[in-house]
Amino acid sequence: MIEAVGITRRFAHTLALDRVDFRARPGEIHALVGENGAGKSTLISIFAGRLKADAGTLVLDGTALAGGSAHLALRAGIVAVYQSPMLFERMSWEENLALGGFGAGASHRDPAAAAERARPLAARLGFDLPPAGTSVEHCSIGERVRLEILRALSFDPRVLILDEPTGVLAPTELAPFLELLRRLRGEGRIVILVTHKLGEALAVADRVTVLRHGRVAAERTSSATSESELARLMIGEIDSFGGAGSISNAADAAAIARTSAVSFAPNHGSQALAVENLTLEGDGRRILENVDFSLSAGEIMGIAGVDGNGQGGLVEILAGIHSPTSGHVRVMHDRPLAVIPQNRDLDGLILEMTLWENLMLARSLRRRFTRRGWLHRSQAKAYCGDVLDQFRIRSAGASSKAFALSGGNRQRLAVARALAGNPGVLVAHDVCRGLDVRATAEVHRMLKEFAAAGGAVLLISSDLDELLALSTSLAVICRGRLHPVAQHDRGAERIGLLMSGVA
Amino acid sequence: MTTARKVSSRFAAVFAPLTGARIMAAIRPLAAIAIAALIISIVLIALGASPLAVFADLWQGAFGNWLAATDTLVKTTPLIFTGLAIAIAFQGALWNIGADGQLIVGAMAAGAIGPALGGWPHPIAILTMLALGAIGGALWGGLAGWLRARREVNEVICTIMLNFVAAQMLSWAVHGPLMERSRSFPQSTMIAPNAQLAFYFQPSRLNCGMIVAVLLAVACNLMLFHSAVGFELRALGRNRRASAFFGLPIRRLTVGVMALSGALAGIGGAVQVSAITHRLFETMSPGWGYEAIAVALVARLNPLAIVPAALLFGALDNGSQAMQRAHGVSPELVYIIQGMVIIVLVAFDAVASSGLRDAFFGAGDNVTAAPDVMAEAGDA
Repeated sequence: MIEAVGITRRFAHTLALDRVDFRARPGEIHALVGENGAGKSTLISIFAGRLKADAGTLVLDGTALAGGSAHLALRAGIVAVYQSPMLFERMSWEENLALGGFGAGASHRDPAAAAERARPLAARLGFDLPPAGTSVEHCSIGERVRLEILRALSFDPRVLILDEPTGVLAPTELAPFLELLRRLRGEGRIVILVTHKLGEALAVADRVTVLRHGRVAAERTSSATSESELARLMIGEIDSFGGAGSISNAADAAAIARTSAVSFAPNHGSQALAVENLTLEGDGRRILENVDFSLSAGEIMGIAGVDGNGQGGLVEILAGIHSPTSGHVRVMHDRPLAVIPQNRDLDGLILEMTLWENLMLARSLRRRFTRRGWLHRSQAKAYCGDVLDQFRIRSAGASSKAFALSGGNRQRLAVARALAGNPGVLVAHDVCRGLDVRATAEVHRMLKEFAAAGGAVLLISSDLDELLALSTSLAVICRGRLHPVAQHDRGAERIGLLMSGVA
Repeated sequence: MTTARKVSSRFAAVFAPLTGARIMAAIRPLAAIAIAALIISIVLIALGASPLAVFADLWQGAFGNWLAATDTLVKTTPLIFTGLAIAIAFQGALWNIGADGQLIVGAMAAGAIGPALGGWPHPIAILTMLALGAIGGALWGGLAGWLRARREVNEVICTIMLNFVAAQMLSWAVHGPLMERSRSFPQSTMIAPNAQLAFYFQPSRLNCGMIVAVLLAVACNLMLFHSAVGFELRALGRNRRASAFFGLPIRRLTVGVMALSGALAGIGGAVQVSAITHRLFETMSPGWGYEAIAVALVARLNPLAIVPAALLFGALDNGSQAMQRAHGVSPELVYIIQGMVIIVLVAFDAVASSGLRDAFFGAGDNVTAAPDVMAEAGDA
């Protein structure tokens, strides 16, 4: 049994965890849920030794843990998979695996041998491994999470902590993964699962602990609770952040999150974006192959697919980072094309810069506040303050640094920046990854409003529910090829087959 | 009229009121110097010398009288130029180690054309000298930038190698095409008198170069923190990938920043020729381009802070010579002091910038991911 008693952790002026008691039993999958900023990541970081608690004790199977040492935690058998994968960017994926448990023993950190040992496990989980020798910096988020899960399992963990692992897994990968978690439970191990998907938490976990504002709001057995109760516990009885047009209570939030039909008819407006016969080759492999589609004003086009099938290349071409090997991209609008990159910490934000400076990364905003080459700092800051209010981004002000924002608020800033630039086309890649129910609903509402106002959205996501709920047209990307999905063909099963390349 | 007010408000912003954070930022280097001095004192006592006497000599040599003080300023001037060059490049995460070579090429350009400026009015001749220095340095720095932007050549290696090329080019030039007419020494012809920055305070060698340096520091500060280009440069330096995603002109910036960096160092070279040496010698720089890296780091890449940081190093350089003359204390001791100041400052800096992150270091291997946890706490 792993037990945390009276854990308190303070960061500067905020109390992240306030006397938290948490207990997970052997042979149990324990879900940890809560809003963005509730303290989930802090708690699991304390378990994994990445952070030291200011007060409180950790006990594993009757032995007190020292805390504050990732190495000692690992030796005690506690392994965590974080939401932002912790891999060595400049090393190949095989080398990364060799640095985990696969590299131990006689072969002594031999990357090829480690990869061979990982293969059967990967096959059982239905994970596709990247081409041999690919360095992690060229791997998509999905590929990274899969590598991290494999590496975590290689340590033969007593306690496995997973922070939002399923967000980037394809439906085809999800079932074997959950099956694996159940098997680990059967072997008497402890699995702690941090998730925003309440349905998933209830489906797979035995018990659920709800964190709210750094405190334990409740602990429930899965059989004795419901999604709506969990949502209410997460958000609290009274919503202190309600405002005009916002979601006023938890029930609404859950309802909006589950909306299955788009409320407005697709507006067949003028063409906004045309992508013609796009082919991209790189690292000796074909990343995109004859990708061809067009996007009209008012349309939300969804692209589903297992992460790492060319989505990244497509977004990078649209952002203007790469030129395609062949083919064209035409933006018909006189308004700009805005991109919300998948990896917000690496591509979307500059964490060491202030919030207003991050806002100014958008060219159209930068232009608005530049006169004869001079940046109008005070106006830009004031404007940033307005944006922070409007999008309800919780921060210490326009001049605070982006790394002080929580994951959810970082994402909101990225969305706010994209929309504030008054774009004609919005390319959103995994825009709700790591967002809680309410924030997800808000982002979905923003996307819908943007489209309703005549914007065109390209929504690239691993989350099929999100795509089915929002998109007016849908396509599946698999190994760099785009397959349109007809309106009547939108069954999850059919799409799953397309995603895995079977159909 | 409004433009004038805007500009003046912008200048006001540069000299913003001292807030708590600003005072702390100013105190930190002073505290570091004090701690470094303390450690040196222990060493001196162990060696049987009196720390107070040594430091008094150091001070005496650096600021003890008018001549010493002005000579300190003369030694500080090239360090400001090269320090600014390094700070601007490092702000863009372009690791220009080549300020020395850029300074030399700037000096060569000014020294080669300088003798021909005899008929020109004094201010025009001086400005021409500075412009020649800027162009020479910009070409040398811009070359490294262009290789980085076009061919992904590592600018560290490239600029170090270009330092050697510049030094040998200078040596060849003063033995060959630029050698003085009498051919007696390996030095170039004296530049025209009206291309020389006059010594207004003789016998001191104090000249206007210092003023140019300080003005450039203010200009760099405005550029870096108040202009759109400066913003793009800082964004590039902090996250190249995000900069690419948001369509910053990365190649143009890379070439431009390296050229600007080189130009600053090159102006330093031109000032040196114009004000101090009046001609080219085989060794124009005692390693200012390298010392500048220390200056820039102590100044934490802030252009305005370059001025006091360069003054510190200039004073240590100058004071050490006097110390050696007076007491026979080895000037190497000064290098030890300089080294200690840098180490202590960097140590202070790590503590300060990681105030919130301290817990993560040593635990995570992915620094970009580490703040996630803390951030979640940020609004808990």
